[in-house]
Amino acid sequence: MSEQEYYVPHGTYWPIIGSIGVSTLFVGFANQMHGVEWGGSVMALGLAITVFMMFGWFGQVVNESTNGIYNKQVDRSFRWGMSWFIFSEVMFFAAFFGALFYARALSVPWLGGADNNIFTPDLWNAFSASWHQMAFLAPGTELQSGTVMSFPDVPASGIATATPADVVDPWGLPALNTALLLASGVTLTFAHHALRAGHRNQIVGWLVATIALGVAFLGFQIMEYSHAYHDGLKLTSGIYGSTFYMLTGFHGFHVTVGAIMLTVILYRVQKGHFDADNHFGFEGVAWYWHFVDVVWLGLFVFVYWL
Amino acid sequence: MTGVFSVIIIIAILVALGFGLIGMVKGGKSGSDKMFKSLVIRVSLSVLLFILVMFSGYMGWITPNAIMVDAPVIPTSIQK
Repeated sequence: MSEQEYYVPHGTYWPIIGSIGVSTLFVGFANQMHGVEWGGSVMALGLAITVFMMFGWFGQVVNESTNGIYNKQVDRSFRWGMSWFIFSEVMFFAAFFGALFYARALSVPWLGGADNNIFTPDLWNAFSASWHQMAFLAPGTELQSGTVMSFPDVPASGIATATPADVVDPWGLPALNTALLLASGVTLTFAHHALRAGHRNQIVGWLVATIALGVAFLGFQIMEYSHAYHDGLKLTSGIYGSTFYMLTGFHGFHVTVGAIMLTVILYRVQKGHFDADNHFGFEGVAWYWHFVDVVWLGLFVFVYWL
Repeated sequence: MTGVFSVIIIIAILVALGFGLIGMVKGGKSGSDKMFKSLVIRVSLSVLLFILVMFSGYMGWITPNAIMVDAPVIPTSIQK
């Protein structure tokens, strides 16, 4: 295709198949959550349609690219398309980090009577504003302040006393996961360098390492969720539980998507689709991975430490 | 102090990431070079931030946030 010719995409049925797949997936998921018998099957069907669409659509685009159908004009539109996608992602995470900040720095203190109760004058006066309610105590435990606490939802026998550090220790899995994800950023940078230098074998090695680190991160994240959930931290655990699972859950979803995209890039590298000068597919996915890495770093610093 | 440094480094990381994005959108040899250099800076700053936070925690300059559970905390004195 010449550089002067304006590229008009051909007609395609993949978007409607994608819509049907995703709709089916979520109808199945919603019903599964409500305990409907056929929910799981419909969900699996929706997932299968979605995966079919992804293979078909992405495969078609890759084939068109390798067959030299695209010119620089199309390359530019791909780059802008990726940047708008990233913009939506940034706004998405900005909203949830904003919610975290708002709840922690403003709304919870207001509910607790900050600023002379000017914002919440009629609230129950015994409400105790606490970002982290450390309730891993047996009923009747005397706190340092001398207040005797009890917990209506806890059996009379009490629950095991644990310090917050026993629940989710920032030195434990979160620190390990941060190290894993940072290491994956480093290995990806080596892969990027190898690609620019034209060393295909090295790219494959570094990409495999990046994907392995990402998968390890997800495995440990599942462990942490299991740990936190069984210790009582749920989506319903007030604003902290909601923001914690919302942020870390969507981040985990993004790591999953990133790992899948990196796997596709690995396949394409092995097929020889990229060279030192033309590798937008790699660049787009690499940037996405770096972004996901930075989001986690922000989570680690603001949720666990500061 | 660690908090201030951390926020400064995070802002620097976001700026580096932003320059990487600009390089990616620009494309071509110069855009590709710009993107790669920016991402190298972003990775280096991230590792620095992680070390800073971990070291500060180890030294006791900052303390980790704890995690709570959903059991409501009600003083016995006002329970029915």
